[in-house]
Amino acid sequence: MGGATAALDYDAELMLRVKDGDASSFARLLEKHRLPVVHFLYRMVQQQAVAEELAQEVFLRVYRSRDTYEATAKFTTWLFRIATHLALNSLRDGRNERSQERLDERSDDMPALQVEDRRPSVEQSMVRQAALDEVRRAVASLPAKQRAAVLMHKYKEMEYTQIARVLNCSESAVKSLLFRAYETLRARLAHMA
Amino acid sequence: MKCPLENRQSSEILLEYSFRALNGSETEQLEAHLGQCQACRDFVDGQRAVWEALDGWEAEPVSEDFDRRLFQRIESEVFWWQRMWGHASLLLGYPALSVAAVAALLLMAVWLERPSPHGAPAPAPVQARMLQPDQVVEGLDEMEILDQFNHMMKPDSSATKM
Repeated sequence: MGGATAALDYDAELMLRVKDGDASSFARLLEKHRLPVVHFLYRMVQQQAVAEELAQEVFLRVYRSRDTYEATAKFTTWLFRIATHLALNSLRDGRNERSQERLDERSDDMPALQVEDRRPSVEQSMVRQAALDEVRRAVASLPAKQRAAVLMHKYKEMEYTQIARVLNCSESAVKSLLFRAYETLRARLAHMA
Repeated sequence: MKCPLENRQSSEILLEYSFRALNGSETEQLEAHLGQCQACRDFVDGQRAVWEALDGWEAEPVSEDFDRRLFQRIESEVFWWQRMWGHASLLLGYPALSVAAVAALLLMAVWLERPSPHGAPAPAPVQARMLQPDQVVEGLDEMEILDQFNHMMKPDSSATKM
């Protein structure tokens, strides 16, 4: 807990340095949070190109907001609030209709099948790919807010309180979102056990 | 222990148990119940299957030029201000030039305000945009940060290897 709190203060400290004009601190924040943000957005919108475009916008907004930044919450709470907001807007705008169609066929974003001696067999790769497609479809079937809650809970290991702050709702609302989301996912994925 | 599946609120404890988020005594109590309740065992098994399935969903690698593109976007946002500042600094750095510029603007304003020979309405006067001191300071800050970004964008700089 102490280490996590120190990490929290460090990110906010870096952002305050950015506010003071230290561009290298912005680069350090980018280095630390680039992958988590892109991966979160990728799982939200399920298109790598769109995810990277949105992630660029996230960091651009972080940079633009440097003059008015105040460390009133965890830096990651603020960061993922921006990311979630952009992802929800993107989904609402229907920019990801193509991604939904492409889930029914092989996507160019997916890695090519390997046919080498030491790699899994083609059959194993196809089975794995089919399972992956099923997971992606199941997550894509969730309403946007449930999807965001699950992704933050599962992949970012955020506590209910932090997810609530990101989604600007109550902790009980987050629990409800997660309960319903996992209920849907169990219905679709429990057979994969 | 009452069956958690009796209502949604109590069934949240099954999720917590699946996530290994319960304390020792809660875990012990629930596990005693799981030994007697097939429905709850199915719930937990299903949730763990979901967890494992989600674990297998690896994200794609980020493009190698992600940072470069981001810094370019930041630079382009700063650039327009730099151009404005460039024009303003030229006037501020050369008093004679600024006097000449102001005189030219005044002459243009007088010429535009002259009565129209055919009675047509005169066009609106040209509005000269003067920079305020805080805008000048902000421009200097932007230029300083831009210099730092330019340095980081150099190919041989270790800071750009993200």
